[in-house]
Amino acid sequence: MIKTAQDIKSYKKQLKEALCDQFLRTALDNFNTAYRENRSAVYEGIDFEGIKKEIAAGKDAALPKLLELFEKFKAHAEAAGVKVHTAKDAKQANEIIAAIAKENNVKKIIKSKSMTAEETFLNDHLEKEGYRVTETDLGEWIIQLRKEGPSHMVMPAIHLSRYQVGDLFEKVTREKQDSESIDKLVKVARKTLRPAYLEADMGISGANFAIAESGALGLVTNEGNMRLVTTLPKVHVALVGYDKLIPDLKTMLKILKVLPRNATGQAITSYVTWIKGAVECSASPSNRKIIHVVFLDNGRLTLAEDPVFAEALRCIRCGACANVCPVYSKVGGHKYGHVYIGAIGLILTLFYHGRENDRAIVKNCINCQACKEVCPVDIDLPHLIKKTYRAVLDQDGKTPVKNILLSKVMKNRKLFHFILRHAYLVQKPLAKNEPMIRHLPHFFEKEHGFRSLPMITKTPFRDQWKTIRPHVVRPKYTIAFFAGCAVDFIYPEQAAALLNVLQKYDVQVEFPMNQTCCGLPALMAAEEDTAKEVALQNMKAFKPENYDYILTLCASCASHLKHNYLKIFTGDADVPANLKLFTDKIIDFSSFIVNVLNVSSEGFKATKKKVAYHSPCHLCRGMQVTNEPRKLIELAGYDYVKSKDEDVCCGFGGSYSIDFPEISAEILKKKLDNVEAADAGILVTDCPGCVLQLRGGMDKRGGKIQVKHIVEILAENKIRNIPG
Amino acid sequence: MPISDLIQLMREKAEAVQAVVVKIKTLKEAFQYTLDLTRRQGGTSMVAMGLQNQELNLLEEACKTADINFLKPPLRLHANDIHTALTAVDWGIAETGTLVLDSSSEDVRIATMLSETHVALLPVSKIRPDVTVLENEINAVLKSDDSTYYAFITGASRTADIERVLAIGVHGPQELHILMMEGNRE
Repeated sequence: MIKTAQDIKSYKKQLKEALCDQFLRTALDNFNTAYRENRSAVYEGIDFEGIKKEIAAGKDAALPKLLELFEKFKAHAEAAGVKVHTAKDAKQANEIIAAIAKENNVKKIIKSKSMTAEETFLNDHLEKEGYRVTETDLGEWIIQLRKEGPSHMVMPAIHLSRYQVGDLFEKVTREKQDSESIDKLVKVARKTLRPAYLEADMGISGANFAIAESGALGLVTNEGNMRLVTTLPKVHVALVGYDKLIPDLKTMLKILKVLPRNATGQAITSYVTWIKGAVECSASPSNRKIIHVVFLDNGRLTLAEDPVFAEALRCIRCGACANVCPVYSKVGGHKYGHVYIGAIGLILTLFYHGRENDRAIVKNCINCQACKEVCPVDIDLPHLIKKTYRAVLDQDGKTPVKNILLSKVMKNRKLFHFILRHAYLVQKPLAKNEPMIRHLPHFFEKEHGFRSLPMITKTPFRDQWKTIRPHVVRPKYTIAFFAGCAVDFIYPEQAAALLNVLQKYDVQVEFPMNQTCCGLPALMAAEEDTAKEVALQNMKAFKPENYDYILTLCASCASHLKHNYLKIFTGDADVPANLKLFTDKIIDFSSFIVNVLNVSSEGFKATKKKVAYHSPCHLCRGMQVTNEPRKLIELAGYDYVKSKDEDVCCGFGGSYSIDFPEISAEILKKKLDNVEAADAGILVTDCPGCVLQLRGGMDKRGGKIQVKHIVEILAENKIRNIPG
Repeated sequence: MPISDLIQLMREKAEAVQAVVVKIKTLKEAFQYTLDLTRRQGGTSMVAMGLQNQELNLLEEACKTADINFLKPPLRLHANDIHTALTAVDWGIAETGTLVLDSSSEDVRIATMLSETHVALLPVSKIRPDVTVLENEINAVLKSDDSTYYAFITGASRTADIERVLAIGVHGPQELHILMMEGNRE
């Protein structure tokens, strides 16, 4: 049975257990890498970005008229002999289906995979009513026998090894099984389940589509069990969420282009099936199938009208948001969802299964944006997860102490900076004259010790500014520098390197002193009001009309300033006047150097130093900047060495690495293993947060690879006088 | 797209999903292939769907000679005994190597779902480049007032539910053979 933690303490205990499951870890880690490779191959020649926007627009247009689509579907389906039902919630859906079973004198029921039936816990209900229910999808059958919930929406038994399956099948068949051979295990299911299809009186399926214009259901499957479930018994019941209603075949064919590709890396599944009406069925007394379609609301119709969350109903259950999630790949689906798994699960759980089940899991998003990028229906999953977290906090009516403090401090820049300055004094004894804090005092829990920590600087960049401020005689560009907390208070040397580089290219730099934290930490803590307040302070501090660009060395600040600022003021009555101008001017370092300054390699010494690259989540996905940094490494005279999974998160995620240190440590470990396998002497990235995580981890493991911000390797390799 | 390219694409895509693709010229050749295959696999029975009466008679004769049990509808009675199912299909979609088969008849469904080996007869004239070309045809079926069970079949049944390892032949046929027939049914 599904036991989702309802408080953070028991959740952390569960996470610890999951992290100890070596099979799970290896399997999911390999899957995370393999999935992304297969997926890019199967999308070759397909305009994914174009199709996903089209599908999203189509879904959005359909959501306000779900009931209209339903009526159309109903009329066509009933004309062809279907009985259509509506259920307001899970309980009612289960009761309707049990009543259909009773009415038709059903004893045995076979099922094909349906997440909607998982949502309503249909099997539990039917079994309580005395029916024998057999799941027939291989993965579903396995977890049914083990009395577990699915750990993935497409591959429900992905958490199990062949040996665990073999042991289970030995118990079921009372025969010795060859667990080495997955083929043979699959045949056990084939052989064992065959009689069940023929004996059953009722088959239950879900559906991927309910097509309004024809009243046909569309189903997308691979194993062939759904075809048997819907063919052999005299009764067929399809349980379908209202969100599966689509206007026409054209829409289905469009979605069919992305669903199998995203779900399993297939161009198309083995079977795509349309079922309409009461087809021929010799097991039924009338020689026609007794067919019922039950539409489940369970909150969907309200959700469809929600200005923020309606987008979640676009989901087509491909499961990809779990496949690419670095957290899922460490802890598995049983710890990363309730019934629905992965990023979409963290959202839908609140609406379908209540805040108690979402309270702990919803916090476990590192905000790396990988799910958003892979989503075939363009759901802004990380954004909605934070919105969901806020809704959970509001419903609970309790604000965590951390949030209260964070809001209080962040809204007051002077107080915030006062605390940061004094942190320098507090931490000094901890470093024991070493450059980093390598041993945390005992009141920290030991899981925080996975990385060495940098020192807060004695003299933040803002205090150095007056003395190091460069003066360019005839500037080609004037930019404002947004430092961000990490560069200002931990790595002012990165800012100094920036000034050093820019001066040579005749760029005048301004540093508005009243700038403060970008506000991303507040948004991550679901404190949107604080995030807004901080955004307003920054927009007041900067005069965007005076600069060509606002440049930052921090990928997270950049994507927050550029994209989230627009998002958090959406729908507000008084949107700040200079919002658009401000966000338009935001640029990251690499893009500025490569695309604006168009620097050539002439300004740099050629060196044979090998450099690996870590692509920050908020740069490659947040800012969509991927080529520029790699090009810049080469331009600056270094030898860029590719490493595996460059665009996978480093595990930092700001306060995530403090909230979930053990998961952060595991994500970091894989990242550093990949980097070390690449034979490079230097690892560069373009985000001070990633530098903190990667350098701290490298130091802790005693690695030899230097970790630097990309601006630093440019400054180091720069020829004094630029030709021309 | 020229027909030769369509045939080639259909072959490539179907083979990519482990279907066996064979070019044949006549129906007689198709019968022979199916019987040889059945015998080679140790099968003792077969069914045929979508053939005309005269063609069925010829096949029945051939089965007798080959000592293969030719099963006749209603197939529910033979649900556990079907080794090979030979079915004429409606369309081929080259882009994905897909077969399109109106399966509203229960016998067609049982044949294509419960057989060990599915042999599909696809006239090359029925191959289309992609699914959008067939949209009107499919819609005509779906939008008619009749009930329908309409199927796309691409390769044999498959799963990756255990350790993500691909295994072919789960609940549906374990093999799919596509006989691409040039010319008419002679």
